[in-house]
Amino acid sequence: MRHALRIVWMAAEVQARELAVSGFMLFAAVFQPFFIGVTAMFMLRHRPDFDPVYVIVGTALTGLWSTLLFSGSGVINHERWMGTLELLAASPTSLFLIFSGKLIGTLVFSLLSLVLSYAIGALLFGYDVTIADPLGFVVSMLFALVSLWALGMLFAPLGILWRTVGRFLTGIEYPVYALAGFLFPILLLPVWSIPISYALSPYWAAEALHGASRGELDLAGLARTWLFLAITGAVAIVAAYRLFGVVLVRARRAGTLALS
Amino acid sequence: MSAIELRDVRRVFHTTTGTLRRKAKEVVALDGLSLEVAEGELFGLLGPNGAGKTTTIKILTTLLIPTSGTASVVGLDVVRDAAEVRRRIGFVFGGERGLYYRLSGRDNLRYFAELYAVPPREIGPRVEELVELVGLKDRVDERVEGYSRGMKQRLHLARTLLHRPRVIFLDEPTIGLDPIGARELRRIVSELHQGGATIILTTHYLFEADQLCQRIGVIDKGRLVALGTPSDLKANVSDLSVVELEVFGVDATSLDRLRGLDFVDSVVVEQRELRQLLRVQTRIADRAVAPLIAALGAADVGRVTVREATLEDAYVRLVGRLE
Repeated sequence: MRHALRIVWMAAEVQARELAVSGFMLFAAVFQPFFIGVTAMFMLRHRPDFDPVYVIVGTALTGLWSTLLFSGSGVINHERWMGTLELLAASPTSLFLIFSGKLIGTLVFSLLSLVLSYAIGALLFGYDVTIADPLGFVVSMLFALVSLWALGMLFAPLGILWRTVGRFLTGIEYPVYALAGFLFPILLLPVWSIPISYALSPYWAAEALHGASRGELDLAGLARTWLFLAITGAVAIVAAYRLFGVVLVRARRAGTLALS
Repeated sequence: MSAIELRDVRRVFHTTTGTLRRKAKEVVALDGLSLEVAEGELFGLLGPNGAGKTTTIKILTTLLIPTSGTASVVGLDVVRDAAEVRRRIGFVFGGERGLYYRLSGRDNLRYFAELYAVPPREIGPRVEELVELVGLKDRVDERVEGYSRGMKQRLHLARTLLHRPRVIFLDEPTIGLDPIGARELRRIVSELHQGGATIILTTHYLFEADQLCQRIGVIDKGRLVALGTPSDLKANVSDLSVVELEVFGVDATSLDRLRGLDFVDSVVVEQRELRQLLRVQTRIADRAVAPLIAALGAADVGRVTVREATLEDAYVRLVGRLE
């Protein structure tokens, strides 16, 4: 167990350090949320029902989601491009464990968007960004991170097993912003799209974090969102575990662990 | 027990060509390869590009599954017991990739030491020991992106040795290295072998195989075409001499004429800027020079030398061509 934790820690550290110098991932975690946050503030701040905390949390979620989506769907291919995938696959450590650590590193890195979002609200626009239920918010954040991590773990083998799915994944960045209700409630969307939102862990993450930050959800309401985050996360991680096994066997059969 | 055993291994790759009208294509990389390497042996695997050397190494390092046949390393099947095989092997693939460039050499080694379950307390001393061995002590804390090709290759070697593997696979480890870097790497390989490791080396440099390997297997088109000590292989060409002719502007007709001479065993052409170097294997040595020059017709002939056949000549005779 201790060895597994050390692997996860090392893989997370390596990943976070790699991402910190990746222009694309900095765009996803910092620059894009900055533009989204600032634009949303300017667009919405004159509305009578404007809530800066809603925009801040929503902006942070866009950064978390984009970073996780791009890193998750590209993490295996990135290792392949660097020529390290074969080394990882030929080590005695399971790929699932290694990539678990890598995506934890991604999550830690993506928290930059949370810090940035608060800085935009508090420092750039001077709003009071008090969280109504800090404890509920922290617990919600933990559930959200674990559930999103599980989703990222599912994206990693999907993009490798089916290239079309991989391409599709990169296209769901903005639709999920809307379907998950990051920046506006899903009630504004067509009725038929609501069940899709309910099936997405980013929706439950947004529901929990918005609810806790604005104090709109009591403990029972929050517990409901945590339950759905746990369920969507568990489904994703079980599927990811199975797919990682398939990926390795298929790649060894097809000879696709290396570029050449 | 053999360190390595391949029994009738066949590996077929399926690819497609074309965009609109896609055609399935089958490439046979290994075609019934059987081979045994003894424990503690330094074994060379030679062959032209596409012969199946790297495929063989990748099967033995559990990165590829054979289409048919069996392969084992230290008695463990590479498909069934892949996880156990991985604990006992190390490998270096030629080239600069396979490292985390934004990390230091030390961080790369620490990371792979964790992946290979080196006990935490041993990681520090082991990394120190290995960077000393491969001569990276002064640069190990710098980012890998600033390393030369030779340094990266030495770092790869250190990474391979972290968990003290019983069998080491070196796939063209000196490719692209300058002569001093390559010599240094050969020295380290030789030391590792003296330390008791079983080493499988693939290389395009025949003198390297001659210098390092106890036995050599030559594969071509996925089949083993020769196996023996370097002396055994050289004995195959002991009846041959090699006439090397430096020529300017030799044409295909002259080369065909040369190849048609009854005392000529093989002709290899090496392009050297504006000149060509013709290596003609023949049984009649000195007496061949005049008829060879005559057969070249109008081509300008420069320096001509006659020498004994080497391992490279034995290799050329075996595979019938030089890359």
